Amino acid sequence: MMEILNNVLADQFRYLLPEIILVAAACVVFLGGTWRADRNLWGLFSLAGLVAALAALSLTSDWEAPGGMVAVFAAPLQWDGLTTLTRIMALGGGVVLLLFAWKEVPDRQAADHHACLLIIVAGVGLVAAANDLITLFLALELISIPTYVLLYLPKHDEAAQEAALKYFLLSIFSSALLLFGFSYLYGMTGTTNLSAILHTLNQETSARDIPILGQVAMIMIVAGLGFRITAVPFHFYAPDVYQGTSNVGAALLAFMPKVAGFVALLRVFGFVLPDGVTPRGGLAGTGLSDQLPILLWFLAALTMFLGNLLALLQDNIKRLLAYSSVAHAGYMLVALASTPFLYGDTSGPNAASALLYYLVAYGAMTIGAFCVLSYLSTPSRSVESVDDLAGLGQSQPRVALLMTIFLFSLIGIPLTAGFNGKFLVIFGAMAVPGEHTHLYVLLAVLAMVNAAIGGWYYLRLVAVMYLRTSHKPLQPERHTPALATLLVCAILTIGLSLPPAANWLLEATRNAVAPKSLPARVVQSDR
Amino acid sequence: MDLDYRLALVLLLAVPAAGAVLCALLGRTRGYVIRWVALAATLVNVFLALYVALGLLGERSDSPIAKTPFGKAVTFQPELVPGADVDDIHRTTWKLIDFGRLGAIQFYIGLDGINVWLIVLTAVLMVPSVLISWNSITERINEYYAWLLTLGAGMLGVFLAFDIILFYIFFELTLVPLFFLIGIWGGPERRYAARKFFIYTLAGSLLTFLGLLAVVVVCYHKPLDATAPELTFAIPDLVRIVNTHLTMDLPADRAFWSTFQYWVFLALFAGFAIKVPLVPVHTWLPLAHVEAPTAGSVLLAGVLLKMGTYGFLRLCLPLAPDASLQMGLPLIGILSVIGIIYGAFCALAQSDIKKLVAYSSISHLGFCMLGMFAFNLAGLTGGLLQMINHGLSTGALFLLVGMLYDRYHTRQMADFGGMGAKLGVLTFCMVFISLSSVGLPGLNGFVGEALVFFGMFEVRPLYAVLGAAGIVLGAWYLLSMLKGVFFGPLKEPEHDGHEIKDLCSREVAALAPIMALCLFLGVYPQPVIRSAQDDLRVVERLLQNRKRVLENQSGDALVQKPRLVDEPRRGESP
Repeated sequence: MMEILNNVLADQFRYLLPEIILVAAACVVFLGGTWRADRNLWGLFSLAGLVAALAALSLTSDWEAPGGMVAVFAAPLQWDGLTTLTRIMALGGGVVLLLFAWKEVPDRQAADHHACLLIIVAGVGLVAAANDLITLFLALELISIPTYVLLYLPKHDEAAQEAALKYFLLSIFSSALLLFGFSYLYGMTGTTNLSAILHTLNQETSARDIPILGQVAMIMIVAGLGFRITAVPFHFYAPDVYQGTSNVGAALLAFMPKVAGFVALLRVFGFVLPDGVTPRGGLAGTGLSDQLPILLWFLAALTMFLGNLLALLQDNIKRLLAYSSVAHAGYMLVALASTPFLYGDTSGPNAASALLYYLVAYGAMTIGAFCVLSYLSTPSRSVESVDDLAGLGQSQPRVALLMTIFLFSLIGIPLTAGFNGKFLVIFGAMAVPGEHTHLYVLLAVLAMVNAAIGGWYYLRLVAVMYLRTSHKPLQPERHTPALATLLVCAILTIGLSLPPAANWLLEATRNAVAPKSLPARVVQSDR
Repeated sequence: MDLDYRLALVLLLAVPAAGAVLCALLGRTRGYVIRWVALAATLVNVFLALYVALGLLGERSDSPIAKTPFGKAVTFQPELVPGADVDDIHRTTWKLIDFGRLGAIQFYIGLDGINVWLIVLTAVLMVPSVLISWNSITERINEYYAWLLTLGAGMLGVFLAFDIILFYIFFELTLVPLFFLIGIWGGPERRYAARKFFIYTLAGSLLTFLGLLAVVVVCYHKPLDATAPELTFAIPDLVRIVNTHLTMDLPADRAFWSTFQYWVFLALFAGFAIKVPLVPVHTWLPLAHVEAPTAGSVLLAGVLLKMGTYGFLRLCLPLAPDASLQMGLPLIGILSVIGIIYGAFCALAQSDIKKLVAYSSISHLGFCMLGMFAFNLAGLTGGLLQMINHGLSTGALFLLVGMLYDRYHTRQMADFGGMGAKLGVLTFCMVFISLSSVGLPGLNGFVGEALVFFGMFEVRPLYAVLGAAGIVLGAWYLLSMLKGVFFGPLKEPEHDGHEIKDLCSREVAALAPIMALCLFLGVYPQPVIRSAQDDLRVVERLLQNRKRVLENQSGDALVQKPRLVDEPRRGESP
């Protein structure tokens, strides 16, 4: 027995190859940065690291994943479709953010910045792979700690310091909450292995005594991870921090922690179950308590409304995009809240796959929007307020067009990835069967009302760019890596809404969340 | 001529889209080339639209819809479907978003008697829209024509789509070009008008989207064949599934279907009523119309408002028949009557000619809605015909107002007088179109209005009588406008002294086809009526069946004279 366990643990390292490459590259860049300050050198090196990690990922994904009960219930890491998809998202996001940072980060800080970015990418990959509470916590910290550095690096003015400090304190607080929740999970089940915990909870909670503890754990975990996905009421750092930091820092904060947070929620609550664990009563993720969907329901509704309504009031674009990212977290929470009821057959409406689809779409359009701001800013004049965009349609028609694509995608206009994402999320919420149908239809209506509210402030930016003339036109310099970032984001935003790319992504997200062994209740028929 | 009809249908969407891209790429300076590219694209589209219309008529005369192998058609049967299934030529195999083995969102377009003339109308109105902008648009020409052609493609797509998501995609996509057309090239209040138009319509259509999704989800959860659930987004399939369930009328499901239909009706109503617009939600329309450039107003009034009425006809009536009968008739009937009279009085009170025409649209669209919610063949035919008539007449009225504005840069009625002496051809066109809009027998407006009121009179005589008052009011405000502006002593507005000429050949070319169609439809509307009849009868049959069932259930007469309605009509196989 011990020998099998040792083999399984040793086996895990092979699959860690992409993360090992990333961390090794990061170490080289950290050390090398003390020797030469050159953004091109370290940028290219980091890019090579990311590409090598991608190559390693494509290599490892062909390997037969270690299966069997021992692997699932003993190993600290697991290698399924969700892990692979999240790693691709993290690595792809890493490449885009690296190109984005090229212009914004000065030579002196480039090495530190890129190394931190590489570690964050590795951290996101590990969050997806984690099959153990301790691993999961460490992986989340692997994202947080470099983020503190990243937030502090680019600017040293008061706002930036406040932003970094605010993020630092709240992040530590949320980590503590998360650990607290994890400790209850350990107390309830006597193990830190996630598969074992889920298995125990799904088997044992027919006895009514555990869920009280489970509810405490659930609330603490939602609070801890809610910080990372900027769910209301854990969102309030976002506007200050986004405004205080650089554009690339804001884009990174808007994307990477959200991916990690949502994937961690999917894992911890058992919305995506490991092989050998069956859902309780056909519903995934309710092992901790039956109140979990209700909690997520309210969280989604609150997050959407608060994000959108406060975004209406903003005149600073970065603050506006910060609240917009809160609002989009709300839409994703709609998907998360409907997930338990749509577990099983993934060929129909499926909320977990919709969530992953939305994450990709959201990443492309939000990073794109921040990159436009960065592209337009010059050292002497940074684009901050909405009025700075006035007349952009005339002075910079191409950049304005790209920004328009991102904004329309954020609204959810068809022929953009944002529309497909919203469609899938809403479709999932509408398709929730059984006694909760009415609640979820109501949630879909709330989401639509919010989409209309969102339309107002995004459209305001479009209107400013095209329907007004500028007093002082922006004169950005041409910058190839930033332009490449913009193009990649725009191509993703448009391309992911159309066949064949839309179908590829949908297929990938469905495979990622598909149960390895189909539960008995494949098709929901009664409503 | 050997162009495949199915290919032509795809080209109908592809040509304006390609034209738009070409115009955008040509750059700001090549105005001359851009105009000709846009004109060529719209002319090709007119040709294609007529070509596929003939194709449909040919297809239908070979196999009329009433004689399908399944007996009476229970749902829409689009013809000339690109990518047609080998087993069933009314279905497509082209997929957009694939949901695996259960089903897919499809690129499902086709023609039937309901949309074919709206397609022709759209294609025809695109040409004058390009011509009227020829000299009046001088700034950012490439963007202007690109947005105009995109709008054309979007509108055609709405009418062509037979997949519910595809329909919604095109429905939303028309917002974007019109937002820019109004916002950039519009009047002084353009920014506010553009945003109000966009948000108003977006908010409504998002709720409509939920209603459409609800239908899809319910059809997925309650498949007709419980062993083979399928996820379908095709409008004909959804109509068939919903109505088969209603016909089966299982006691366990009865309450569910009843409430479900009410919610679907309300959701669809939210989007389509704003688009039509019905009275409490019409406030975006006068603003958008007045601020839009002439071509924008022409297309907005001529085609975009029809997307609302078309949505009611294609989706709301067949997908929520019970709710349409029980709630729709009183709700929409009363709102339409209010709209007819309120719109007419508002038009009467305007001093700006363009605003007058805008309010007259609210009044005239009320006729369309009244006709459709009579639920009988006469009313449905009248409603459909009225959509086309209003598109032609009001489109032309906006063109004429635009031509007047191009000359004098004012639209205030008080500034004008006796223009007939100065601008003879323009006056002739204006009188002609006004009379068609008023509903003079022999011109197009008359046929549609007559059918609408025949239809409504059978169901709710009071609405018909009140609605008919709108015709009188329509004559009043249009004729007093004519009298004030074109007759009497000559009074020219102040202008910068350049010579004012009558219509040039370009402007005549823009108006002539519309006027010819007005005359043609007034004298000989049979082609339109006959080709639409089979498809409208599908809707009518669904509704009349439900009406009988509902009356039996409740014993409460929905109709004052049910016998008259239930008589089998001429030509219908027993």
